[in-house]
Amino acid sequence: MKLAYYPGCVSRSTGKEMDASTRAVCAALSIELDELEDWNCCGATHVSNEPVATGLSARNMAMTGLPIMTACSICYSNLRSAVERLKDPETLDKVNSVLDKKYSGATIRHALEVILEAMEEKDERIVLPLRGLKVAPYYGCLLTRPRGVDSPEWPTMIDKLIIRLSAEPVDFRLKTLCCGGPIFMPRQEAAEDIAFKILSEAKRAGAEVIVTVCPLCHIMLDAKQKALEQKRGQAIGIPVLYVTQLAGIALGLGPEELGLFMNSVSPMAVVERAYQRME
Amino acid sequence: MTAILDDFKAEVSRLAGAEFLTCIQCGTCSASCPTARLMDPSIRGLIKLCLEGKREQAIDNDTLWLCTSCLLCTVRCPRAIRPKAVVSALKDIAEREGIKIRDATYERLFLKQIEDFGRIAELSLTGEFLLAYPQGMVQSMQMGLELLSKGKIGLEADRIQGRNEVKRIIEELR
Repeated sequence: MKLAYYPGCVSRSTGKEMDASTRAVCAALSIELDELEDWNCCGATHVSNEPVATGLSARNMAMTGLPIMTACSICYSNLRSAVERLKDPETLDKVNSVLDKKYSGATIRHALEVILEAMEEKDERIVLPLRGLKVAPYYGCLLTRPRGVDSPEWPTMIDKLIIRLSAEPVDFRLKTLCCGGPIFMPRQEAAEDIAFKILSEAKRAGAEVIVTVCPLCHIMLDAKQKALEQKRGQAIGIPVLYVTQLAGIALGLGPEELGLFMNSVSPMAVVERAYQRME
Repeated sequence: MTAILDDFKAEVSRLAGAEFLTCIQCGTCSASCPTARLMDPSIRGLIKLCLEGKREQAIDNDTLWLCTSCLLCTVRCPRAIRPKAVVSALKDIAEREGIKIRDATYERLFLKQIEDFGRIAELSLTGEFLLAYPQGMVQSMQMGLELLSKGKIGLEADRIQGRNEVKRIIEELR
């Protein structure tokens, strides 16, 4: 299978391990990725003007005829929203009038969907089944919104992947609560309140690891975790992995390839436990 | 439909769709919002201000900047209104008027980066924002050091080839 790959801006900075693990897992599953040439920022959650946001996504989508995969839920949501808006002929004409290459439709896939589809049940490439590992499936908001893939209220895609890797999803009430990330720069306090709620709930639910599908959720729960613990005087200590990292561990890929040393809360103890359980 | 609307409602309609005109004020959006407890007016209240044509109050408030863009209001609205899109439209109008609020500055810098480079360089974006609003400096430094120690801060901005095209998208579609 060959897909166009849209890495998104964070792949070059705060989401390097998301990008590394996505490429490694796809290679292991024989999914060929063709990176979009000269891609631009999708606008994330900070371009308020909808026609401009649509145009930014359309430029990316006009570069290929292949289905486009991204591992970032924000990029994913923006591209999918643009596809919807571009179904309106007036919007399409206007946007195409400013583009060099014209947009004529696109299929957008999240890395989670692609991996889930590529892995069969009892897939023999899963050399390290994660038996007994308790995982909090954290969906955040934009993976399933706007509507189109899975339920925007109570999605199950990540749970399915966790089960396919032989791990156990915990009952995680706050799985679709927004992490607060988009307002974190100007409104630190408000954003941190929400992130801490999610971490505390994962702890209460007995999770050994949290999995995410969005680099902003990842920053809020992983890179900020230590600071939040200090501020609130409550220990959390739960590693936060991208779904691609979790899948990569089960596929027997190495920590370097999966960027596991780039996570702030080290997942290495969890990985070691998984190896011990197998013996 | 737009012909009978005043300029403000017409502009919100252009940016967010005319559906907001059919709002029944049920409050599902506010009840779904993760930051609702911090908002005054609520999202429901904000849409009411739009319906009443109260332009100044609708674009000059903190509510707009507390929206996390999670889209739960949008998937739940029984009238198929997109409340988040209404928020975005009001933010865009406020930004174009040069409103002075730290969140609007952040968004302006964000768009400027896309315009200049085609992509976001988080380091210079954060730096420029903190120059304008240094209050968040300590916490941002703490975070910056954490990310830097993991090799996750890109020191240089990527510059794409198609910068002129991106500039055109921003200038001509806005």
